[in-house]
Amino acid sequence: MIGDTRSRLRFAAKGVCKSFATPVLRDVDLEISIGHIHGLVGENGAGKSTLAKIIVGLENADSGSLYLDDQPYRPINTSDSLGAGIAICAQELSLVADLSIAENILLHTSTSSFTRIRRKHAEENASRLLDLVGLVRSDPRTLVSRLSLAEKQLVEIAKTLATDASLLILDEPTSALTAPQAELLHRILRDKARDGVTVIYISHRLGDVLSVCDRVSVLRDGEVRLTKDCNVLSEKLLIREMAGEDADFEAAPRSIKEASSIHLTVEDLQTSKLPNPISFDCRRGEILGIAGLAGSGRTELLNAIFGLDKRIAGSIKIHMDYGIAEIRSPWQSIRCGIGLVTEDRAKDGVFRDHALAFNVTIAGLRRISDPTGRLVRRKEASSVAQLIEALHIRSNGVDQKMRELSGGNQQKSMLARWLHCESQLLLLDEPTRGVDVTAKLAIHTELVRLRDAGITVIAVSSELEELQSLCDRIIVLSNRKLVTEFHRNNWSQAEILAAAFSEYDREDARSSASAY
Amino acid sequence: MNEFGNRVSRILEENLIFVSLIAIVIFFSLISESFLSLTTLSTLLNQLPALTVVSIGMTLVLISGGIDLSVGSVVALSAGVIGAGIAILGLPLPLAACLGILTGALIGFANGSLGAYLRLPIFIVTLGMLEVSRGLAYLVTDSQTVYLGAKIQSFAIPWAGSGISASILVALTLVVVFEFLLRSTVFGRQIVAVGSNESAAEVSGIDPRRVRCTVLVLSGLLAGLGGLMNAAYLGSADPNAGIGLELSAIAAAVIGGTSLMGGRGSVVGAFVGVLIVSILQIGLAQIGITEPTKRVITGAVIILAVILDRWRAT
Repeated sequence: MIGDTRSRLRFAAKGVCKSFATPVLRDVDLEISIGHIHGLVGENGAGKSTLAKIIVGLENADSGSLYLDDQPYRPINTSDSLGAGIAICAQELSLVADLSIAENILLHTSTSSFTRIRRKHAEENASRLLDLVGLVRSDPRTLVSRLSLAEKQLVEIAKTLATDASLLILDEPTSALTAPQAELLHRILRDKARDGVTVIYISHRLGDVLSVCDRVSVLRDGEVRLTKDCNVLSEKLLIREMAGEDADFEAAPRSIKEASSIHLTVEDLQTSKLPNPISFDCRRGEILGIAGLAGSGRTELLNAIFGLDKRIAGSIKIHMDYGIAEIRSPWQSIRCGIGLVTEDRAKDGVFRDHALAFNVTIAGLRRISDPTGRLVRRKEASSVAQLIEALHIRSNGVDQKMRELSGGNQQKSMLARWLHCESQLLLLDEPTRGVDVTAKLAIHTELVRLRDAGITVIAVSSELEELQSLCDRIIVLSNRKLVTEFHRNNWSQAEILAAAFSEYDREDARSSASAY
Repeated sequence: MNEFGNRVSRILEENLIFVSLIAIVIFFSLISESFLSLTTLSTLLNQLPALTVVSIGMTLVLISGGIDLSVGSVVALSAGVIGAGIAILGLPLPLAACLGILTGALIGFANGSLGAYLRLPIFIVTLGMLEVSRGLAYLVTDSQTVYLGAKIQSFAIPWAGSGISASILVALTLVVVFEFLLRSTVFGRQIVAVGSNESAAEVSGIDPRRVRCTVLVLSGLLAGLGGLMNAAYLGSADPNAGIGLELSAIAAAVIGGTSLMGGRGSVVGAFVGVLIVSILQIGLAQIGITEPTKRVITGAVIILAVILDRWRAT
């Protein structure tokens, strides 16, 4: 070996910080040697993907510095990082569906926009790369839109390999792959590493990480908690580091309600996005948590219960005073007293250019209209004003535009929308995402108050602490399967996390993922 | 005093379109002595009805996030059906009129089913229907203008001395009715919600397909009525009627503050838009501006309206 350890570093980060609404990365230090495969693991929201985006110039760090081969490095965009020999295979696939495999790979590698495309050459090149990643039988002229998810992921990987970059970042590269496909990828990565390519490997599949990587860093709450060689690590150790020392954090004690009548029964539910039958039930006045990693089917489960995603098998029954109803559409759900607060407020929650009152009443317009369908302004103003006061929504009044409200107040008004409908069962997808601490506390307090008033809540959250402090019971999804259930006072963060990871490392889980 | 000034400027800003309308009227009456006269008013009122009702439908469709390019042809088709009904089948006028309006609604229903339920791009569907309806209009009239006589004209001819016809009265009533529908009914809110954020509307229990389909049926129905008004105005069913009318309707809606992206707009605004476009036409003609120049100016006004609207929104 030539020189000391530091001169052999391909990549280093020193004191990198990044905040969106809340800090995502805090003082991240990372050193990766040439020819190493470096694993990056952590819970959802730990900051892995953000770090990757900063390295390739998709995001800017607030402070701290990056070094490439000991030279300061500050990418503005992805062409900067490509020029520096860095390529990323992102979690969100970036393929153009209406172009062929060969054209997609070409898009990524060609240097000038106006050079003539040499079709033959491009196809041969693509064909070679497809062979490499194991898509031997695929024609490079196939449109990407015709590929399965696993095939798309392999094309994405091929595209990354095509750049001949010397630092590869792979964000969840095997999430849709079968075991043999993943194994092949790992072999390719080891070969590349032997040739001096450095790899950053981000994955939820701890088994994969331990088998392919030389070193692993654990991120928790935006901090690097540990960096160690793989041969001294185990899955158990990683999970413990990811969950943290304060794994037994508990909110102020609350009265656990006596078991009441069943409110919702989900039986062998299957949708196109949830291939494995899911069954559970939920009691009136219970707060049921759904834990799981991103992509484990949490959102899909809530959407299916609400009737947004058509189910292909099984049943969803809601028990009401006057009988039992089967849920088939959002419209019917609302009539049966169900409300859904979606994960992505901007996308399918708020009407940002319209008034607060418009946003709150839109799901329950019949409550502010006379029998002919005419809206009664007085009723609207007074019922919205009441909700604003009850939920402490800070606004200039019912006519203020939604876009002018803070994230926390927007989120509260999403809750107000269903309180206006007097919903009895609230489905909440990440109810406190992107809101500040005070708003978060206020929302938690409100949810407990609602529960005590007999309203049932089903909450999805990536924050285990949130679920643990709120819920009476937690069910865990892993790889689109319901794996287990925990009761209050009978859980630990490490156990829940282990359950959330459980289906990602077994062989059968992989084949079912590829079937999807 | 300063506060008073602020209030005035806010009122001017919020009612920019009315202010513009008044400014245009003042402008023309200053340069043309004959502008402020009963003749001008009567010309204006006679031109208005068909474009007004078509613009109402267009506004609703645009607010729901769609577009309806077929309306101009539907006007001709509806007129053609009325003409054929009276001249060939010998139907009484009211029955023929209903048949014409119903034809419009049917075309709207076809647009709605294909666009909303089969999820085909509504721009292309209604563009196709523009051709289909125009072709059908030629077929039912045998490509001839069908003369209908005085009876149908009584709908469009102003009542003695008043300058107001049944036609314009119906159009004005519909402006009020549909503005009310949009502002103050459950259905109006649903149209705005679907145009503003379709997936949020769906989560709120609104079926976006049903709303989109319904506004397209309304638009077709109103275009059918526009056909009746056109036939009454001309005293004949002209298969070439309404060519380019869809563009005038879109322009009127946009001048009136309706967003082409959906989720925002006003029926009264669209009516003022119709007034602005029509008054420009008449006024420019009176001061001796030639047809080509008129088109250049009208086009520029449309673009100016959008610029002002953008400036007001930010």
